[in-house]
Amino acid sequence: MLAGAMVLGMTACGGTDNAGQGSTSGGDGAAAESGTEAGDTKAADTQAAGGDKLVIWTLAKDLEQFADHYKEQNPNVTVETVVIEPANYVTKVQTALNGGQKEPDIIVGEPQMLEDFYDAGYFEDLNQAPYNAQDYADQIVDYVWDVGQDAEGIQRAISYQITPAGIYYRRDIAKEVFGTDDPEEVGKLFADYPTILETANTLKGAGYRIFASDAEINYFSGDSAWVIDGVLNVDQGRKDYQDLCVALYQDDLTAYANQWSTPWYQAMAGEVPILSADIQNYADDSVDVWNAESFAEATAGMDKTEVFAFGLPSWGVLTMRDNVQGTSGKWGVCAGPAYGFGGGTFIGISSQSERKELAWDFLKFCTLNEETANWWIEASQGDTVSLIPVLEAHADDANEIYGGQKLYKFWLEQAQGIDYSKVTRYDKFIGDEWGRATTAIKTGEKNKEDAWNEFYDQVESTYPEITVNR
Amino acid sequence: MRYGRRGPRPPFPYDMEEDMAKTGAMNSKKKDVNKIAYLFVLPFVIVFLVFSVYPVLRTFYLSFTNYKGYGDAVWAGLDNYIRVFKDKFFWKDLWNTVKIWGVNIILQLGLAFLLTVIFSDIKYKIRGLAVFRAVYYLPNLIAATSVAFLFKTLLDWKYGSFNQLLLMLGITQEQVNWLGSTSTAPYVISVIGAWMWFGNSFIILMAGVQGIPKDYFEAAAIDGAGRWTVFAKITMPLLRPIMLYVFVTSLIGGLQLFDLPFLMNGVAPGTAGEPAGTLQTVVMYLYKFGFETHQVGYASAIAYTLFFIILIVSVIQFKTLGKEED
Repeated sequence: MLAGAMVLGMTACGGTDNAGQGSTSGGDGAAAESGTEAGDTKAADTQAAGGDKLVIWTLAKDLEQFADHYKEQNPNVTVETVVIEPANYVTKVQTALNGGQKEPDIIVGEPQMLEDFYDAGYFEDLNQAPYNAQDYADQIVDYVWDVGQDAEGIQRAISYQITPAGIYYRRDIAKEVFGTDDPEEVGKLFADYPTILETANTLKGAGYRIFASDAEINYFSGDSAWVIDGVLNVDQGRKDYQDLCVALYQDDLTAYANQWSTPWYQAMAGEVPILSADIQNYADDSVDVWNAESFAEATAGMDKTEVFAFGLPSWGVLTMRDNVQGTSGKWGVCAGPAYGFGGGTFIGISSQSERKELAWDFLKFCTLNEETANWWIEASQGDTVSLIPVLEAHADDANEIYGGQKLYKFWLEQAQGIDYSKVTRYDKFIGDEWGRATTAIKTGEKNKEDAWNEFYDQVESTYPEITVNR
Repeated sequence: MRYGRRGPRPPFPYDMEEDMAKTGAMNSKKKDVNKIAYLFVLPFVIVFLVFSVYPVLRTFYLSFTNYKGYGDAVWAGLDNYIRVFKDKFFWKDLWNTVKIWGVNIILQLGLAFLLTVIFSDIKYKIRGLAVFRAVYYLPNLIAATSVAFLFKTLLDWKYGSFNQLLLMLGITQEQVNWLGSTSTAPYVISVIGAWMWFGNSFIILMAGVQGIPKDYFEAAAIDGAGRWTVFAKITMPLLRPIMLYVFVTSLIGGLQLFDLPFLMNGVAPGTAGEPAGTLQTVVMYLYKFGFETHQVGYASAIAYTLFFIILIVSVIQFKTLGKEED
């Protein structure tokens, strides 16, 4: 029975319920860490309490760098970092921890995974001694601190970074078309969805395109929760967002590039060919948008344009850094139509680890240590850390790629506006289905009514506990 | 006991039991031999219990719970089964699966039958049956991943060899989007499946034909029966049990179809079952709940509902095909 065998992977190891109440095991010589101020934690003080090996399972490669840095300061500790494909990460963690494995010691999660991980009891309670994480609450940006808490407010994970979203725009184009490149003023061009559409049309009239893809506003579309008190909530903002996507697509207001494809990256550096809707949705595959080598040749005869803006979280700074080439210095960042954030790696201790003291030391090293945060800003060349004292210390840092703009100050302001209570465990699925409905409407595959009904049906059948009012 | 040159030779064939009875050691020795035999089958029994019996029983238990893949499995009674019956996507996906399997089985059995008739015909006397058998069976040995990749490349809309060939021969005026169109994608999977598995059906049918006593054919030939009469009156009726076997095993495999449609169109996130959900099979639907939305209890109920559907259809097949045989 294939069907039975498929469920085997999920069930054979099941039944172990470690509700996160595990007391911290630790060696006799473990140093009590309670009450230590964030900045005072020195990695050199590490006591390899439960053994001198630490196993980390992560889906973000960042942690490899953190682990190397940790090893430099703790040469007697062996750190094994296993980077797992995001698509397989949750299943792998579930299988290991449901099977009662003592390793990994450190597990991570992205916001949409965390609620399930908390419920499963995978993460150690960090509010108890010797961790006393609550003592560090004021050191970390609020929304990040909240994401790391379970439904009962117990701290389970902490992130070293914040990921608020912003609109990255070309200052030179802004000046030419709108007469200003000031982030405050340009932000007004993105104040709400109808205004964005207006801005898009103005730019098209001037020979530019507002975005490379029509998905750039996605990070700002979550201004309300998808599910409120068990009821599906599709508010006007979601519908306006959908209308905007459809208009951007149908009125030729973008360059028809897909996010993360060759032309999308290329648009950061300047001119890109204006593709067609068919190329974007793969109905026409004469241009392989994922193949940088053949792309230039395949699009040689097409009209070209320059793209005005990208909507990305703060880690987009790194994406831009690697791709802006000749447009370096011509960029600015402003606020989008709503507060939003995307991703973020949250680090926690496995409740089944036998080396919790060491794991806690590593966790603090990555998230609550000023020296590490400063090192990470350098090492990552501009990632935005979550440690408030360090963010404040860098508030006046001018970023030359962005015309000297003070980005850390900007991201901190954006992060302070994020309301994490709007995030639910259903977001990924519902968001994907809403995106699918949007695609069906914009490509003409379905009319609005059919696409919405399909969306409602999908939500209803996948999560019967959600009430759907059509 | 060693039989030396000087000792008496035992009677041939040597009867160990008699020998043991004489010495009075038979009972205890026989028991020992039996125990050793159990040891030999033990590894299989353990693997079978752990990897087949336990998951099957546990899946059945979980289908009555709301287990999420972690935490406690809270008893939910028949809720999951009621949900399956009310779930329109389950039935839609079952219909998708039946459509793909239906076309597949017609092609697969048709081809296997045609080859069986050709190869078993006394007048043709085709040589090298073993070679043909091996060649026809080969697609069965290729991993589904490779098959999916191969056909994805061949059937590529713009540059695939298949479309180029059709254009060159003037059969079509423009490229056909085989895997992107709802009217062709499911049947492409059926054809690939038939190509993969017809060799297996052919071998089984051929073995069935070879199992029919030659006397019947000779008697028929003497009586002046034509080729069609021999086929309809002798080959077909005597092959019925084998056909039933091929049919039922194909049904069991076909309704659990997963790898081909998943690999052809569903690997990229959010593309499972495209175009327009026509390639979404029941097991892909099960996969969504088991591995993507972490509703293991519901996935288990889908697995068992599928099992019961296969069981019922198999019983109907046995009743109808088996009865005619009587």
